[in-house]
Amino acid sequence: MRVKDLGTRPAPASLREMFSRLARGHAPATPIQRREMPYWQEYGWSRQANVYTGNYQTQYGAFQGWIEQERSGKIDFYLYKPSDEIRSHSHWTCFQHRGNDWYLVHMAKEPKDVDSGIMTIERLIKEAYEG
Amino acid sequence: MKKLSVVVAGTGQIRDVEMQPGTTAGDVLHQLNLSDYLLSKGPNEPFFAATESVYDKVKDGEKIFASTKAEVGVLPLCA
Repeated sequence: MRVKDLGTRPAPASLREMFSRLARGHAPATPIQRREMPYWQEYGWSRQANVYTGNYQTQYGAFQGWIEQERSGKIDFYLYKPSDEIRSHSHWTCFQHRGNDWYLVHMAKEPKDVDSGIMTIERLIKEAYEG
Repeated sequence: MKKLSVVVAGTGQIRDVEMQPGTTAGDVLHQLNLSDYLLSKGPNEPFFAATESVYDKVKDGEKIFASTKAEVGVLPLCA
């Protein structure tokens, strides 16, 4: 007799799980809810009533900012201690000193929302650094 | 066909679109009824011109931004 029956024993759990998964097929896909939030919130700004505080974020660094939305809807954007690069930009005359190293960024064409204004200033900072 | 997710500034709302080759930024904005907006890949990237083909510049499934037109300046001192 060349073969001897030694009886049966349970397969290891990992093998049982693998075969079980093959028999079941793929599990149904789980839909992931994506976050829908304003740009200011997504990029770490915080809001208290009509005032936003945070940083204008660019590849050249984060620049401290402050934003106030007036009752009229007008939005004022401030930048703290603009760097030499920003001070050398052709639009430096559009920055008005308001004390304590805070500068109001004057908009010739005002954004309709806080997000668009933040992105405009971030774009300007990038331009300043790229000469 | 490519899919594109447009994040609308001010709301954070994401609008999904599907576009054919040759679709321009103007086509996308018109379709989404965002006539006062400009499209860009983000603040570190330039705005798409209205007649520029977005289809050629984005990857399938990419997220881009629609923001309102704004310009730093004190007319007539600044451009």
